[in-house]
Amino acid sequence: MSEKLQQIINKQQNQDDPDSIDIDEVTQLVGFVVGDEEYCIPILNIQEIIKPIESTRVPQTPDYVLGVFNLRGAVIPLIDLRIKFGLGQTKFEEETRFIVMKHEDEVAGFVIDRLTEAIRLPKKDIDPAPDTAMQENSLIEGVGKQKDKILTILKVYKLLERDF
Amino acid sequence: MDEFQEILQDFLVESFELLEQLGSDLLELENTPEDLELLNRIFRVAHTVKGASSFLNFDVLTHLTHHMEEVLNKARHGDLLITSEIMDVILESTDLMTKILNQIRDQGSDVGFDAVDIVKKLDAAANGEVVSVIEPNVVAPQVIEEVQEAPSVEEEEELDYSSMSEDEIEAEIEKLLNQKQDEDKAKRKAKLDAGESVPALPSVTNESSATPDTPSTSSTPSKPVEVAPVQKDPEPTPVAPKAKPAPKTAPAAKKQAATVEQTIRVDVKRLDHLMNLIGELVLGKNRLIKINDDVEERYEGEEFLEELNQVVSIVSLVTTDLQIAVMKTRMLPIGKVFNKFPRMIRDLSRELNKKIELEISGEDTELDKSIVEEIGDPLVHIIRNSCDHGIEDAETRLALGKSETGTIKLKAYNEGNHIVIQITDDGKGLDSDMLRSKSIEKGIITEKEADAMSDKEAFSLIFRPGFSTAAQVTNVSGRGVGMDVVKTNIEKLNGLIDIDSEINAGTSMKLKIPLTLAIIQALLVGVQEEYYAIPLASVLETVRISKDEIYTVEGRSVMRLREEVLALVHIGDIFEVERIFENSEHAYVVLLGLAESKLGLIVDSLVGQEEIVIKSLGEYLKGINGIAGATIRGDGGVTLIVDVAAIMEMARDVKSTINTDSSNTTKGAVEKTKPSDYKVMVVDDSKTDRTIMRKSLEPLGITLVEAVDGLEALNILKSGDHVFDAMLIDIEMPRMDGYTLASEISKYNKYKNMPLIAVTSRTGKSDRMRGVEAGMVEYITKPYSPDYLLNVVKRNIKFNLEMSA
Repeated sequence: MSEKLQQIINKQQNQDDPDSIDIDEVTQLVGFVVGDEEYCIPILNIQEIIKPIESTRVPQTPDYVLGVFNLRGAVIPLIDLRIKFGLGQTKFEEETRFIVMKHEDEVAGFVIDRLTEAIRLPKKDIDPAPDTAMQENSLIEGVGKQKDKILTILKVYKLLERDF
Repeated sequence: MDEFQEILQDFLVESFELLEQLGSDLLELENTPEDLELLNRIFRVAHTVKGASSFLNFDVLTHLTHHMEEVLNKARHGDLLITSEIMDVILESTDLMTKILNQIRDQGSDVGFDAVDIVKKLDAAANGEVVSVIEPNVVAPQVIEEVQEAPSVEEEEELDYSSMSEDEIEAEIEKLLNQKQDEDKAKRKAKLDAGESVPALPSVTNESSATPDTPSTSSTPSKPVEVAPVQKDPEPTPVAPKAKPAPKTAPAAKKQAATVEQTIRVDVKRLDHLMNLIGELVLGKNRLIKINDDVEERYEGEEFLEELNQVVSIVSLVTTDLQIAVMKTRMLPIGKVFNKFPRMIRDLSRELNKKIELEISGEDTELDKSIVEEIGDPLVHIIRNSCDHGIEDAETRLALGKSETGTIKLKAYNEGNHIVIQITDDGKGLDSDMLRSKSIEKGIITEKEADAMSDKEAFSLIFRPGFSTAAQVTNVSGRGVGMDVVKTNIEKLNGLIDIDSEINAGTSMKLKIPLTLAIIQALLVGVQEEYYAIPLASVLETVRISKDEIYTVEGRSVMRLREEVLALVHIGDIFEVERIFENSEHAYVVLLGLAESKLGLIVDSLVGQEEIVIKSLGEYLKGINGIAGATIRGDGGVTLIVDVAAIMEMARDVKSTINTDSSNTTKGAVEKTKPSDYKVMVVDDSKTDRTIMRKSLEPLGITLVEAVDGLEALNILKSGDHVFDAMLIDIEMPRMDGYTLASEISKYNKYKNMPLIAVTSRTGKSDRMRGVEAGMVEYITKPYSPDYLLNVVKRNIKFNLEMSA
């Protein structure tokens, strides 16, 4: 009886396996634009995406830290990626969004100019960051190749790391 | 294994509780060595721990407690009088017990401890001079156990006495005697309890009686025979497996006897979670109240308002009650901390060779668990300090005409939302002059500072790190660390320290600590467009002052408040707030007090008092100097909470800018070379009117920007995209009317000189007055001729180019 059961379980696992390998090989990313460049981050690092809401300035922080905002009772830091990337501040437009990113216990909101699309990218199409951007403190995780363009994949844990 | 862990946990919790009790009992025993009840209680502790530890295979602990038990048993039977030498040995062994238990807690085993020495001492004590019998064991009030054993009386009578040793028979007789007595008690109690506790008893009896001191009950039928030789065996008594819950039931029952009170143990994490949820609820309540106010304003006089009002007030009432109730579940009596001090004083007085007495009162005063944990260390340091520096030795005291024994009073009581702990000694007091000179000597303060100090300020010098008055470092104190610890810990709790002292009369130190930490009362203050919350516990008072009351001394702002000179700092300077609005002639000073220091914080406005829930800023923003956390306000916005301790630090380095005029606002005054360099905003909700104005001004060739209402106009201004030379404002507009717009604009420093021109069909005198009040410089009534408008605008924007268009 138990042998049979074992067989069935094994069978099921074998059935599952090819699928899961397939899923593993594809990374789901979400693309967005900051300045003139398109970037993307893994979808699993995104807690949610919201429209701009009011934030409170926190003193003694770099200018790219816009402050903190209230996300349903949690106080979350807000970081402007434009300023962080040295592109200068602009006003929030119709398409401006806050992407709330998480990595382990760290959560922060990031201001981006606009969202583009959700992308499914096979792992084989992702190359490591070019040598010039390989340093430890680089924000670039890798480069994704698509038919018509190249995607810059950001290191979310690095974005969430306090660097002041 | 899990079961074992569970038992171990129970054992540890129980044992620590028992030890705590033991400490104070032992000291009491030293004063009344013949108190049989006390002796029995102490004996039982050793016994319970022994029984449980042997079951759990903690051999060293069992060995130790067994010998302690021996000594105590002799004392209990009157074969031994507890002298202070014996007491030293017993105390020493309880210390070892504590150490072993700590190790068991941390590492799960008692291996590595050596109890041989102390056991030898204990044995020596046990075999020491046998003092003649003081009192036969008439009453051995093992109240609880006996009460519970009542139902098993019949069973016990069937015991075979012949198989017992003499000791056991003696014990049995003693027990039966007690039973008689306690049965009476139980009956009385049963009447009171209406029999509630009686049915539950039999099972308890079986278990608790399985411990070796009641060797004979029917539940362990095979035991009596075995137990007899065991009594004198140095090996631990093997406890029957059924005795597993023994450590659990015995103390639980003990509590029951002390006060008929039902308690359950709850994981602190659950309480913390509950507290967090309440926090959310409080935020929700605040928000509800705000919405209610808004609704009230808008729908004044509507019938449903009354109903809404009622619901809101019920919700807020219940929330407040709930919050208090949950807070209370986290409360512990401060006695938990005070308990360890009698022992400490005893040791210290021996070590220092002084006679010191400790008087404790108010140990029932309750405060939050997290605070109870933090308050211990500071108190230890203060009391050590009092013993070492405060109380003089016996000869000096006698010479001064004081009683030989010094007294330290430890007192706790409630005061509003605070608990006050007062430590008073009748020692030599603090000599403010000596404190000053010592501090100068140690380079802590300059001579100039010393001269400016009041006595009270001089007293607070003892809290400076590195300060010590002791001529030499002793075992007890003198390193100049202790009082600094006191200050740091009390600051962490948002507490205040107040010192009072008189030479040769003594010193009194008052610690004022908020009852809880998670939800606090805060004062909300405004600076420019920002708001900050200051914990109300640190706010001593608020004062409204005018600008000329602020003096500058050596680059620092100060003011005189009653007899004190108060250092001032502007909150905007600390938090780098951008000055947008003009400073008004008046300012508010929030007088902050923390531990022993004070500071005046200048703010633009006082918003009010509010209950806030402290939230952390998270890993990314933690440790921002001056910010203790954040809270969510009724309107859903985030307000930062000021870290008063940090602000006081920061205030020392902040340069004053209070009186510097921020008049360099005209930087936008670019040279105007062509007509389109002039910009005028047209604010009107009617498209037709806007077009008429545009047409009228066209000949000038200036740039026009249009806005459809006050709000849009204000947003355009705020965005800073344009610098306007004038504004044409309609009065009647949706969302924000012209008057409001004008008064909003006049708040901004940089628009102070921008002409606001009203263009309206309102012609009443009162309308004109309102316009002037709101800051309008011209008043054009519709309809108007294009030329008139053009000229008014031209005059106001100082249009001095030759018209080219």
